[in-house]
Amino acid sequence: MRTTLQAEEEKQKKTGRDLTRPLFAGGLVALLFVAVVSAMVFGAVSIGFWNVFIILVEALPFSFTFAGVEIATVYEDIILQIRLPRVLLAAAVGSSLAVAGATFQGLFRNPMADPYVIGISSGSALGAVFAMLSGYSLAVGGFGAVPLFAFGGGIATIIIVYNMARVGQTVPVMTLLLAGIAISSFLSALVSLLTYFADEKLHMVVFWMMGGLGGATWQQVQVMVPYALIGYILVSVFSRELNAMLLGEETASHLGVNTERVKKILLVGASLLVAAAVSTSGIIGFVGLVVPHFVRLVAGPDHRFLLPASALLGGSLLIATDTVARVIIAPSELPVGIITALIGAPMFVYLLKKRKKLRYFGGGG
Amino acid sequence: MGIDIEVHGLKLAYDAEPVLEDTNFKVERGDLVALLGANGAGKSTLLRCISRIIKPNSGQILLDGDELEKFSSKESARMMAVVPQETTADFDFSVEDIVMMGRFPYLGRFQKETQKDRDIVRRSMEMTGVSHLAERSIANLSGGEKQRVIMARAVCQEPEIMLLDEPTANLDIGYQSMLLELASRLNREQKVTVVAAIHDINLAVHHFNRFVLLAGGRVMAAGRAEEVITPENIKKSYGVPASTYRHPLHGVLQVSVVKGNTGDTAAEGSPAVHVIGGGEEAMPTLELLNQEGCCLSVGPVSAQDSGCRFAHFHSLPVVVVPPFTSMNGVHKEEHLQLMRNSDLVVIPPIPFGEGNLPIFEEVETILKEGKPVYIIDLESVEERDYSGKARQFLEKLVRKGAVVLDRVDDLKALVRPDGGGKDGS
Repeated sequence: MRTTLQAEEEKQKKTGRDLTRPLFAGGLVALLFVAVVSAMVFGAVSIGFWNVFIILVEALPFSFTFAGVEIATVYEDIILQIRLPRVLLAAAVGSSLAVAGATFQGLFRNPMADPYVIGISSGSALGAVFAMLSGYSLAVGGFGAVPLFAFGGGIATIIIVYNMARVGQTVPVMTLLLAGIAISSFLSALVSLLTYFADEKLHMVVFWMMGGLGGATWQQVQVMVPYALIGYILVSVFSRELNAMLLGEETASHLGVNTERVKKILLVGASLLVAAAVSTSGIIGFVGLVVPHFVRLVAGPDHRFLLPASALLGGSLLIATDTVARVIIAPSELPVGIITALIGAPMFVYLLKKRKKLRYFGGGG
Repeated sequence: MGIDIEVHGLKLAYDAEPVLEDTNFKVERGDLVALLGANGAGKSTLLRCISRIIKPNSGQILLDGDELEKFSSKESARMMAVVPQETTADFDFSVEDIVMMGRFPYLGRFQKETQKDRDIVRRSMEMTGVSHLAERSIANLSGGEKQRVIMARAVCQEPEIMLLDEPTANLDIGYQSMLLELASRLNREQKVTVVAAIHDINLAVHHFNRFVLLAGGRVMAAGRAEEVITPENIKKSYGVPASTYRHPLHGVLQVSVVKGNTGDTAAEGSPAVHVIGGGEEAMPTLELLNQEGCCLSVGPVSAQDSGCRFAHFHSLPVVVVPPFTSMNGVHKEEHLQLMRNSDLVVIPPIPFGEGNLPIFEEVETILKEGKPVYIIDLESVEERDYSGKARQFLEKLVRKGAVVLDRVDDLKALVRPDGGGKDGS
């Protein structure tokens, strides 16, 4: 009798605890929906919700036309050629940054880590600025020199950092972090040096570095999304290992995690995410730092939930902030990085104050 | 069912600084082994080699005859669990999550935890007594609770070997023996081979039955407590003089480091003190003077006396009177000599019988020679006087110049070079 009672109690406790995650996940999906809808509706030209709905449904390949509904082709073009790719790109970039941030924070066991912590952003920036200043007109698959160089710069940087940090067969995460910071400052100095001689292209360089999704095309979406998907799958397949790594490399290895291999895979996955994001949209700050923290505060540090939830929240957040960036001084637009920091920072501070401490990382105790 | 571990010719150096030098040892399946040795002797390094954190420069580690390297990470994690000295766990995982991680080596990449895994987690938590903490965050636990959770995780790995690297170093005495008791229970009930690096030899002898003593990266001795824990081995490996003895209460072999103040180790400026007599009653005086760094001599005492044991343990000069005999001329001369060699003489509040009344004559002699004499607690002398004459003799000494102190603590003011300062009140 007592055991059944206990089991019952245990079950209740379990369901009580497990409810947080489904509720939170539901909330995130709803948020994404709201963000997408608002992004379609608002803009320099406001398009009604029903019109958006009809345009989208009619655009589906197997779909039908709504009889008696006439929508101006301009609206159709705005929705299908401008806003839809931009929303999808924002979603891909936002979730890539958030997932990469979560991965780096877990891997380095450091709450300060963000997607750019080991220098991918500086490497990409150097590549991008170099491409802008040299005026290369090279184009591969319809892509200009800037994204190509940015992507290459980011990936090259991570390879250099990884090899610098290697001690024999192992790569201690702390060395990796320090090597990343060193390389990052060095590359940033080079970027500043190039920027100093940028003359009339200065505006372009500064704008790129602030980050933005202006001029998003379907082609960008087509290239960005596969990278983001590959990176996301690589990282999330190893989320149980990432949990173990959070207890320290030695403990993870005692539990049967092949730490060196896992580190390498996680680095490759996260780097792909970041390089793809940076090369399409420049350096958008704050999403990758704040989103994973937010999810941890609500739902705990388990990466099996943290990674997908961060992806959802990061995507929604960037769609929403990008919409604000487009609308706030329409028809002109602000760099979205400014908005993410302006909205994200106070929100995060509020959370910190409310929860008092970040229990899941050092110093929280 | 336990696995045996063989270590052959292990060598390891950190930056040309050798840590392990040709380490050889064998742990039989089902052994319960304590790895002893001074700081830097290589205990942790050896365990880290066995648990595959460090790769040795040369040598072999065999598990049941198979090279360690042959096993995959998950395979070795199914055989071997490790409890480290301390786990930094300041994130929000629940205790249950942490224990569940012990199932990692059994789960395929896309496999979910089954009811069986959850049952093992529950049993592990019950065994280590952390079931009531299941929902709590590991970050909010005390050191002792956390260590038991880590132990539960290790149990949950269903290992054949458990390695513990100074698991009790940060725990209070209650948790220390609880944790080691758990390890020996696992050994008894599930025949798990246990190897634990332990600092505290006196703790280790309670819980383990085989001992391996490391010194300078080599195995210096291995075997039962009596074979390994000897004053010579302790002196060689830890570099301190030590005595071993059977504990008077539980009879287990114990080690104590000798801290006697002979000429060269005495605190600078502290006087040499002779303490009259022995017995339990003299111990507070002896202990206090020893702590204050005084160079001591003791006597006369009888051979079974605690004062005598104290003197022998600290290698102090002592006048010993064999049991059932009384002082003779030789003892008297010896006693006078010890008193003459010291700067002052103390008579602690010891019991007096007919037998030790002659002491007073000797003290009187020395008093006449100008040696300062201190009597502690003259007031209570009747309670411990079996001759009926002690007060008379003591008061005579006082008249001749001996000084009376109310409490043992008053000695501090006397023997401190600066005159005792603040607490000499």
